[in-house]
Amino acid sequence: MRERLVAVALGAAAWVTVLTTIAVVAVLARETFAFFTDPLVSVVEFFTGDRWTPLFLDKHFGISPLLAGTFLVTAIAMLVGVPLGIASAIYLSEYATPPVRRRVKGVLELLAGIPTVVLGYFALLFVTPWLQTFIPGLKLFNALSAGLVMGFMILPIISSLASDAMISVPNSLREAGYGLGASKLDVVIKIVLPAAFSGIVAAVILAFARAVGETMIVTLAAGQRPILTLDPRETIATMTSFIVQAATGDQPAGSLAARSLYAVASVLFVITLLLNLVSQALVRRFRERYE
Amino acid sequence: MTTASARRARGRLFYAAVLTPTLLALAVLAALVLDVLGDSVSWQVVEPAGSGSSFSVAEGFRFTGTWERVVRLELAARGESAEEVDALLANSEERRIFAARNRVELMWAVDGQPLRWVVTSSRDKLISDHALVAGARERKALLAELRPGQHLYLNQWLDGSIFGRNTSRSPLVAGLAPALLGSLWVMALVILIAVPLGAAAAIYLEEYSQDTWAARAIEVNLRNLAGVPSIVYGILGLAVFVRFMRLGPVVLAAALTLALLVVPVVVIAAREAIRAVPDSMRQAAYGLGATKSQVAFRVVLPAALSSIVTGVILAVARAVGETAPLLLIGAAAFVPGLPSSPMSQYTVLPVQIYSWVGENNPEFAHVASAGIVVLLCVLALLYGVAFWLRRKFERRW
Amino acid sequence: MSQVLPDDHETVRTDPVAAEDAVVEIDSFSLWYGDFKALKGVSLTVPRNSVTALIGASGCGKSTLLRSINRMNDLVEGVRTAGRVRYEGEELYGAGVDPVEVRRRVGMVFQKPNPFPKSIHDNVAFGPRLAGRRFDLGAVIERALKDAALWEEVKDKLQGSAFGLSGGQQQRLCIARALATEPQVLLMDEPTSALDPIATDKIERLIAELKGRYTVIIVTHNMQQAGRVSDRTAFMHLGTLVEEGPTDQMFTAPRHELTERYVSGRFG
Repeated sequence: MRERLVAVALGAAAWVTVLTTIAVVAVLARETFAFFTDPLVSVVEFFTGDRWTPLFLDKHFGISPLLAGTFLVTAIAMLVGVPLGIASAIYLSEYATPPVRRRVKGVLELLAGIPTVVLGYFALLFVTPWLQTFIPGLKLFNALSAGLVMGFMILPIISSLASDAMISVPNSLREAGYGLGASKLDVVIKIVLPAAFSGIVAAVILAFARAVGETMIVTLAAGQRPILTLDPRETIATMTSFIVQAATGDQPAGSLAARSLYAVASVLFVITLLLNLVSQALVRRFRERYE
Repeated sequence: MTTASARRARGRLFYAAVLTPTLLALAVLAALVLDVLGDSVSWQVVEPAGSGSSFSVAEGFRFTGTWERVVRLELAARGESAEEVDALLANSEERRIFAARNRVELMWAVDGQPLRWVVTSSRDKLISDHALVAGARERKALLAELRPGQHLYLNQWLDGSIFGRNTSRSPLVAGLAPALLGSLWVMALVILIAVPLGAAAAIYLEEYSQDTWAARAIEVNLRNLAGVPSIVYGILGLAVFVRFMRLGPVVLAAALTLALLVVPVVVIAAREAIRAVPDSMRQAAYGLGATKSQVAFRVVLPAALSSIVTGVILAVARAVGETAPLLLIGAAAFVPGLPSSPMSQYTVLPVQIYSWVGENNPEFAHVASAGIVVLLCVLALLYGVAFWLRRKFERRW
Repeated sequence: MSQVLPDDHETVRTDPVAAEDAVVEIDSFSLWYGDFKALKGVSLTVPRNSVTALIGASGCGKSTLLRSINRMNDLVEGVRTAGRVRYEGEELYGAGVDPVEVRRRVGMVFQKPNPFPKSIHDNVAFGPRLAGRRFDLGAVIERALKDAALWEEVKDKLQGSAFGLSGGQQQRLCIARALATEPQVLLMDEPTSALDPIATDKIERLIAELKGRYTVIIVTHNMQQAGRVSDRTAFMHLGTLVEEGPTDQMFTAPRHELTERYVSGRFG
């Protein structure tokens, strides 16, 4: 009898996690539905309109500026984080000796552990002034600083996952390459990287999802000005920075402006969910090959 | 057809190319730490409302005990008599007011003088504020420009007293007390909620569930939860805990929200720890007639405990720095007092830092960096303990 | 069996190989892993277009010797060598010799089949592409696959994944891959120990054909296999080359006591 109780209690704990997901979906769905059924909002305009002004008197609900802002910052972050992360992964898996590898991985774990509010502070008060000394037209709040710092935030994620993928490539493949007269560079680029490819892609997608969902760096350093632009020197708004702005403002709870927050959050949730699913599928495929 | 030397040159170039990002990451980390440290100190030209004196106290460097001596000297310099000073210091309310409005700090040795104590007041008038490096360069010029009654000093924003002071509209006396206590309260509750929940879920998944459809659904769900942006947890917390359960913007709501965020991390870490326990131990226990729950709680859990603790510490380290979810559920930036119960209003360290940075006041930026140094030290401590634990128990089997 | 031979043991040789027939000459070659001397002054001449087997108990150094011929041991930390290895008259361990070049001219097949996770075509093309060949690959690949007795089985699915082949086929693919660079010498390190008897048999027949165009040096744990495929056999023990000679003679009338004990199964 007692055994049954324990089993049920433990199972309940496990199901709480499922309950969490259900709650998230329910909350987002309910408020988003209320948002879209409001007469002032049209679904078409939401996805195709190019102005986002829910907090002004003249309300427009086109999400594109937020998507553009998110995309701009994320793209800059990926341009920095992906090459550096993969290069670092190559170093860790193919060149570093185990003690060095452990220490470097530790340092990278520290970098990954820095709270994003600190990174936002760093971007706003250090990186931006420094960049302003040689980039003309760089605004105080801009996409570039946020993107650069975010790139260093995702570097450890890519480095760690990609190097794990490369390390699991069996050594016999490298031996075969050496036996055929390949140099180390050949072995790394022509054998290890292609063999670890799906694992590396999974790492990149995961980092992308992380960058898209990142809040504090962009809220502090990129601004809260929803515009459609690809100029990294501009002040922009991202989905996440808008959510913060809307939530810490004075909007009354049931108002349309407050509900728009949920709609944006829904879009964010769906995007990151899809990215995570794809990444997991790739990791599974990679594991099947080598185990 | 490449020659051997060309191949070697390419190999060396390649090695340099893959070594560079690691060095770059180290450099960025160093730049960040140095910048924060440097920003927590500034040169200031101040017109004091207090006595304007600084006191050389020949005792050793001690925070306790010296405060009272220095306050006596300051009050005496302001013209209070010895009896008045005694009366003031004996009255706890007066002491509190003095501490809230004034700031006693140790000054770096300036101009070759011995270490001194300075008392500044929130009513001091700040003339100008200069960054550490720039101010050092301009020191001579600044000294020359001083008018009577003003003095230039190196303000070390991060000093011992910052831990005891409340937040304030004045950057000179703003402190971390509510934020630190708030973080402590919230984290304690998070651990109390998330650890049993996460450990229980992990035990269930590893020891109890067969490879059924349900178990796999839970696993997929967990992995997805780990990838959900933290701000979405804030939205969940806002809708469920703050509004629906009508808890309001209190410590408990924050703890519940962060606990939900942290549980997937704890579960994943606990599962790995449990999986690492050799099966032979379980077989031995079953062979002795133990039930499933006995095996789980008396054999497996104790064996996996140190790894689980490491995972929990890392999860806490992550939660301590979370800002976005708490902003959404109403962690205040300016709290009237210290949290005294799970239903108090509160703030936490990262939110406090965020609000200081957002004040758009360069002096608050200094206080913010002091706060960041404290936060980073807390994290360093947590990570240090976690790494030490991990190393210590790694060679178990 | 841990009887240690003296350091200056003279290898017992029967029908020594004449210098003009030699394609590989190992001359007083010693190798250390750190402080451990794994090869003790080995001298061996391998004749052209033959199959030479290296046999001996585990740890006797036969794989190490094999890997010394294409300088694969250079990849291990702390390795030191002394002595010489000549390939077609050229010093492989001379000053300024690039090990990568050496490995392009000597082929190697490993114990467990290790094809790359690429198509069959790309596996075989890998070696030639490294050497800079871009055109005319089709002919090279066909020739290599035919030499490895795999062409008929894969000619219609060259773009298919190498992992779609059976274990024995994968090993023949690895042989083809090694042959594609047109080496003179093919080194085989226990090539059939991970395969089933049918696949093993196919590869043993293949080796017999290969010696028409190549010289094969094969390390094997399996004495019967050595007896079946090789022309000459060299027996090693704890880093020393004890005896070498024509295979028939080595197995029916070994001249050194240790050899006799090994081939009659009393140790190893």
